[in-house]
Amino acid sequence: MPRLTFIASQGTSRTVDARIGDSAMQTALAHGIDGITAECGGAMACATCHVHVADEWADRVGPAEDTEADMLEFAASTVTAASRLSCQITMTEELDGLVLHLPDTQI
Amino acid sequence: MPLAPVNDAVTITELIDNPYPFYRQMRANSPVVSVRAVNRVMLTKAADTRAVKDDPETWSSDDPDTPMKRAFHAHTLMRKDGEEHLRERNAMMPTFSPRNLKTLWGPAYENLAGEYLDRLPKGEVVDLFPTLAGPLAARILADILGLSEASDDNMQFWSQALIDGAGNFGWFDEPFERVDRAHLAMDALMERKAEYYRANPDQTALSVMVNADDPIAWSQIVANIKIAIGGGINEPRDALLTVLYGLLTNPDQLDEIKRTGQWGSAFEEAIRWVAPIQVSSRRATRDTQIRGIDIPKGTVVMTCQASSNHDEDLFEDGHLFNAFRARNPHQSFGSGPHHCMGTHLARMMLGKIMLPMIFDRFPNMELVQPETVVWKGFGFRGPLNLPVRLN
Ligand code: HEM
Ligand code: HEM
Ligand code: FES
Repeated sequence: MPRLTFIASQGTSRTVDARIGDSAMQTALAHGIDGITAECGGAMACATCHVHVADEWADRVGPAEDTEADMLEFAASTVTAASRLSCQITMTEELDGLVLHLPDTQI
Repeated sequence: MPLAPVNDAVTITELIDNPYPFYRQMRANSPVVSVRAVNRVMLTKAADTRAVKDDPETWSSDDPDTPMKRAFHAHTLMRKDGEEHLRERNAMMPTFSPRNLKTLWGPAYENLAGEYLDRLPKGEVVDLFPTLAGPLAARILADILGLSEASDDNMQFWSQALIDGAGNFGWFDEPFERVDRAHLAMDALMERKAEYYRANPDQTALSVMVNADDPIAWSQIVANIKIAIGGGINEPRDALLTVLYGLLTNPDQLDEIKRTGQWGSAFEEAIRWVAPIQVSSRRATRDTQIRGIDIPKGTVVMTCQASSNHDEDLFEDGHLFNAFRARNPHQSFGSGPHHCMGTHLARMMLGKIMLPMIFDRFPNMELVQPETVVWKGFGFRGPLNLPVRLN
């Protein structure tokens, strides 16, 4: 099972097991991670699952594609080159150890 | 597994007057319940309503037996699934882009809000429903949709006619006749405006849909504008009245927010506390189960987000207005592929613009006889009046 670490804006971090095929957003909800709201449940219609991918993982996770980038403009916190919608990141063995930073607010 | 237990005690009148005591009982004793009065299986727990809306394959939005199709003269995007739904939704999306919200609709709303507030009399008792909340919600929507010629009254009449038609589960004649008259007027205006926008394109919803490279059918353009008319006035109107009521009856919270500027949290809390759209339907596309209860294929469930927003599993004292909740995972904008298209617009208009503006202008606004405020509604819910003195 790939492990996934969420680091909150205050710096606290939690590492959880992800199921292969689940999105990072689903993984967060399944483990009660507070900083992910995911109002639309992964339909790419809300931008409340915004995360910043840790620098060392940027290449493996890849950038947001077009529609995702459009939706990211709605995010409540600062959007950077490292920003992704976590509902669009699918967990695989290759992403074992992935680190995602949570923004200070999603709404 | 058993079928959902039947409740034939609660009446539609009770649900319209105040559904919350019933929801509380159901959450405690039978969270999945077949309710005779509405002829639907109600889901009252947050985990269940959310799971249903997030799984559109098992739960279709296409409920064939509602009066909505008759009332809207069409099958609208709200009742479609999958690719077909996405295509129609995306047709209208560009209008609501962050850039348009920031550069067009935000400034437009700010001007309008200022104008409507200027017109309110100071020092005497005024009801904010007919003088502010209703007409302002109608005005901004007309301008965003591309129907600026429609008066505030036109828009509110059309909206109510659509809603009464869509909610006409008694299948009476009068609401359908009234909505038919509204269609004649809406169709005529849209045809005129479509012609205008072909020559003068802009970012309004009608223009964006008409001038798209690969436009959806005219019948669907019209239907989608009507959905926005039916669903874009009531909610912001009711949300504004609800948040003002919440703040004015909790002066400690109001004072604190004036200090910190957390108007957005007050808005979120208001729509959690009393969700403007209280229920949404979904139809089971296969035999399934919820909480050990059999739901046969074809069953229409009513996901009661109003109840989910008070669910003890997520909220302490959910019946109380508390703008300072640490977490507020309400479902008032729905969830899944049909998640409200106006979410960001509503948050900007009310949380970012209106609330700071109204309390800046009338810092000593007071609610006059709060006990006379009447709350009503089962499908849509909000105050029917809000008497205040503006100072
Ligand atoms: C406080 C304000 C509002 C609330 C609480 C609200 C709530 C909702 C909810 C719960 C749904 C989902 C219905 C379902 O799941 O079947 C929805 C859908 C929708 N809303 Fe809103 N709404 C608000 C404001 C607006 C505004 C201002 C617009 C305007 C333009 C709008 C346009 C829509 C549309 C077009 C849909 C259908 C989306 C689809 O089916 O894909 N809403 N809204
Ligand atoms: C026998 C009783 C009733 C049943 C079974 C019923 C059921 C429903 C259903 C399934 C919906 C669709 C929810 C959705 O859009 O996802 C709905 C919407 C609605 N109902 Fe009812 N309803 C009943 C009575 C009423 C009454 C008496 C009122 C008015 C006071 C009402 C007002 C509404 C409204 C305003 C909507 C929203 C329409 C829209 O989305 O445009 N309903 N109802
Ligand atoms: S959950 Fe809504 S965009 Fe990711």
